[in-house]
Amino acid sequence: MRELLLALTVAALLGATSAAQNLEVRELVLDNGMTWLLVPRTEEPNTVSAGWVAKVGSVDERPGITGISHFFEHMMFKGTTTIGTRDPAADAELMDRQHAVKARINELVWGQQYDRYKRGEIDDPWDPENDTAELRELRAELGELMEAHRETIVKNEFDSIYTNEGGSGMNAFTSEDMTFYFINVPSNKFELWCWMESDRLDDSVFREFYAERDVVHEERRMRLESSPTGELDEQFDAMFWMSSPYSWSPIGWPSDLNSYTREDFDAYFDVYYRPNNLVGVVVGDFDPDVAVPMIESYFGRLERGPVTPPPVVTTEMPQVAERRMIGDCECQPQVEVRYHTVPFNHADSFPLEIMAEVLNGRTGRLYKGLVEGAEIASSARAGTDHRKHAGYFSFSARVKGDAGPDELEAAWYDELQRLQDEPVSPEELEKVQNQVAADSFRSLQSNGFIRLQLGFFAASGGWRYINEAPGRLRAVTVDDIQRVANTYFDRTNRNVASYTRRAGSAPDDGLASLPPEAQAQVKMMLQQFEQLQDVAQLEEIVGRIESGLSSMPEQKRPAMDYVVEKTKERIERLRSEESEG
Amino acid sequence: MRLMHTKIPMIACRTLCALFMGLGFAAAQVPDHPDELQFPRLDFEPPMSAEFLHDLDGIPVYLAPSSEWPLIDLTFTFKGGAFLEEPDEVGLGSSLGVMMRRGGSARTSAEELDERFDFLAANVSTTVGSDRSSASLNCLESNFSEAFGLFMEMVREPGFDAERLRVHLDERVEAFRQRNDNPMSVAFPRMQRLVYGDDHYLAREPTLDTVGAIDGDSLRALHRRIFHPGNLVISATGDFQPAQLLDALRSALDGWQVGESVGDPPAPVHVTKSGLYHTETSQKDLPQGTTMIFARGIQRDHPDAIALTVMNDILGGGGFTSRVTNRVRSDEGLAYTAVTLMRPQVYFPGIFAGFYQSKNPTVALAAKIIMEEIERIRSEQVTAEELERTKNGFIEQFPQRFASKSGMLSTFVSDHLTGRDPNYWRTYREKVAAVDQGDVQRVAREHLDPTNMSILVVGDWDAIEGGDLEGRANMSEFGEVEHLPMLDPLTREPEGERTPTGP
Repeated sequence: MRELLLALTVAALLGATSAAQNLEVRELVLDNGMTWLLVPRTEEPNTVSAGWVAKVGSVDERPGITGISHFFEHMMFKGTTTIGTRDPAADAELMDRQHAVKARINELVWGQQYDRYKRGEIDDPWDPENDTAELRELRAELGELMEAHRETIVKNEFDSIYTNEGGSGMNAFTSEDMTFYFINVPSNKFELWCWMESDRLDDSVFREFYAERDVVHEERRMRLESSPTGELDEQFDAMFWMSSPYSWSPIGWPSDLNSYTREDFDAYFDVYYRPNNLVGVVVGDFDPDVAVPMIESYFGRLERGPVTPPPVVTTEMPQVAERRMIGDCECQPQVEVRYHTVPFNHADSFPLEIMAEVLNGRTGRLYKGLVEGAEIASSARAGTDHRKHAGYFSFSARVKGDAGPDELEAAWYDELQRLQDEPVSPEELEKVQNQVAADSFRSLQSNGFIRLQLGFFAASGGWRYINEAPGRLRAVTVDDIQRVANTYFDRTNRNVASYTRRAGSAPDDGLASLPPEAQAQVKMMLQQFEQLQDVAQLEEIVGRIESGLSSMPEQKRPAMDYVVEKTKERIERLRSEESEG
Repeated sequence: MRLMHTKIPMIACRTLCALFMGLGFAAAQVPDHPDELQFPRLDFEPPMSAEFLHDLDGIPVYLAPSSEWPLIDLTFTFKGGAFLEEPDEVGLGSSLGVMMRRGGSARTSAEELDERFDFLAANVSTTVGSDRSSASLNCLESNFSEAFGLFMEMVREPGFDAERLRVHLDERVEAFRQRNDNPMSVAFPRMQRLVYGDDHYLAREPTLDTVGAIDGDSLRALHRRIFHPGNLVISATGDFQPAQLLDALRSALDGWQVGESVGDPPAPVHVTKSGLYHTETSQKDLPQGTTMIFARGIQRDHPDAIALTVMNDILGGGGFTSRVTNRVRSDEGLAYTAVTLMRPQVYFPGIFAGFYQSKNPTVALAAKIIMEEIERIRSEQVTAEELERTKNGFIEQFPQRFASKSGMLSTFVSDHLTGRDPNYWRTYREKVAAVDQGDVQRVAREHLDPTNMSILVVGDWDAIEGGDLEGRANMSEFGEVEHLPMLDPLTREPEGERTPTGP
């Protein structure tokens, strides 16, 4: 008996090893505290995907400077004392003068204009249309200084140098937890990357501050205000996170975006952009024996910061009652139900992820139940977001036909109930586990994606997740899933966003609710009737259809009802035209 | 069948050698300026497609094995797509793409096939594009045999399950309802219509009528025309032995009838009428205008194509180093994205377009700046510095096109299907290097005619029309506007006249 057990265990272990991936990562920490993750990979020859991540994002902000992490990211492309200017002295002087004028503008807006706004005299303290004479003058002065500054600026030189040397895919992003800067360079130009990146970490100069702020306003308009659900989603986040600084989005509140000062910037840089808060990631066709000395000499010159970045101490208050947001938009009616769960790498994050996968996909429960089965949803999915400090689980779906968001919500509670009451079948679990195994390899097929994951995991809590997570996901049992389903999904822990289509922006719903074949038929009939101008003739047709309705098959009746209704409307119109004429 | 070549190019070795030769440059000290850096040489010759090509009884097969991870990635690409639809069956192609994957096969039910693919963790997809279609399989090497068998059933004899088809058609109607909700999803199709004409396959849009007419018979008919060995190119990368994979392919393709190869897609007959156009979305109070400035462009194999690509990169295609982005975004802060695009088509001239989204009062100012830049690149030579930077960028980035095996194969397959000269890439860098300042100006003059440009603005016209507070630009500078009625999301028939939103 004992031997048999042993044999089984060995077989199971072998099975697990043969299916497990392991990415070899060389970790290096410089004396100044900067961490490096290196993955030499010759599968993609002649190119290196490099990047570095600052472990700072909107979660590290506070009211007054929301969005500063993202704005900072934009400013990091503006050059240094060496790159981006023809005349460093004039450059510095012109920036000083701009900041001085802006400080005066801020003082007036935060004072007088906010007062006028509070008294109800103006609708927006920042809108130039509401400027006082003094503000108008100051704004003109700022504009002139910006114009003069352009003379000394070498436009986008940072970008030019990389382009000239074959850099590609240069970009950066800011999230709640991190700010990530990356580019691909030809493998013989790795030293250029070291030069450029260590230079901007050592000596960034934030020129074009105020034009770039307008760019971010446009970015906000594009991402949030011009998107059908953008502003609603932003406020749903703000409702969901009560005390946690995840409450605001990385793009920040517009009034804060207008208010940043140079002092805010300097303080932020000193805390968060020092090497002890940074992780470099290099993946691709390079030799570590060549690359490591370069990294040491270029990035080793950065000075450790004067302080350790402060922890995020505010935890989310346990939710005590269900919260709901009812909105309307120019959008498909939809619902999201969201629950507070656990942060990145928490033991329960793994069963929660497996639970979401049981629900997702073409053979997942949501598609089979809501899209194909009840036919109330045009799409439905479950999602998890395990961030550095906290996380959530969400269900979201869009309606089909005449169904309302409330029906989707009710259907979700039924699915949830099933997960709480019955263990998922071993086959469902095995299917998801197989996918986890295959995906663990798929995720390691490109330099760029490996770089992204390593940086992302490093900033979220630990890069080893890339090798450890597949095993932890594969260890999840049906009992684990049932347990988490019964732990995080109480009514008092849920937040519901329910959106319906704004009145007046809806397509003609009577027609749209019919099956497509019937719609085509109906349209053809109505088009034919459109040719007829004779009211009597039309009335006769209506009569014929109506008398035939009772003998018609059940499923054809709604289409004919629609034809009758539309034709009667047309008769009415023809009549009124006649009486007017 | 015979193996044409089995040679694996030694690219990886070459790169490493280059790096080792560069050891002497390892940074002992940090120079003051990046100009002082010296880089080791990187010798690169693009791989020739013939080195990867096998002939499977007349079917071209491109193979690039890799033993890095135990995965196999197999793609069948077919010439043919939506351009084959009749006018009353627009949308049939994309439904065919969806239903091949969802509808089961002649032997296996839709549900069983889904369950099996998912259980095997096989990622399977089928798509029918505008002029090319594909079916692909990505799975663990250990599951390949079974997954590939099911994949071939699906590709050769799809089931088009009637119930699944009904659900899919309903989903399409739901998607139609959202067609007017987003400025980009309004602007792009409208530009296609204005450029290619409402009836051309790149511009026409499915409606309730055309989608309502889709059934099993019409899907089968289009499937027969596209998905057969006469239109097929196969490519694969991953953990396999070429000889074994070719054997597996040969037996899987056995008996598959070779139909008539499809021809080239039709060129548009429509003549683009330039003008200032406006339309709107279902959201009436948008804060930004989404703007396209456009004209007919060139064909891919036009002799000026490379010079035009260089010109466009300097004008607005090259991101932050380009003129349009510099002025509209960096100088003026008028837009987050401000670019120009040169989108050649293989079979007929494509589109040149400028694109940006700006707050309502500065839509006119941004348009004015872009028109000025178009005028400037025609009237003055670009600087030597701009030209060098752009050309160096293209030349230095060139090896990346062939870095990943999947990227390399997709270049080969695309070239094969569109009949591009296999030597095109071998001399690509020389062709870029040969472009001079005179060429850039000449192609700008020949191909960018400001009097022939159209402007399409999507958004709140009443807030856009008057221009900016300082009076730097307003929309009347671009001529008289034609308001295009919104198209009904379901029928694509014009909706009622525009109603002004007030003062």
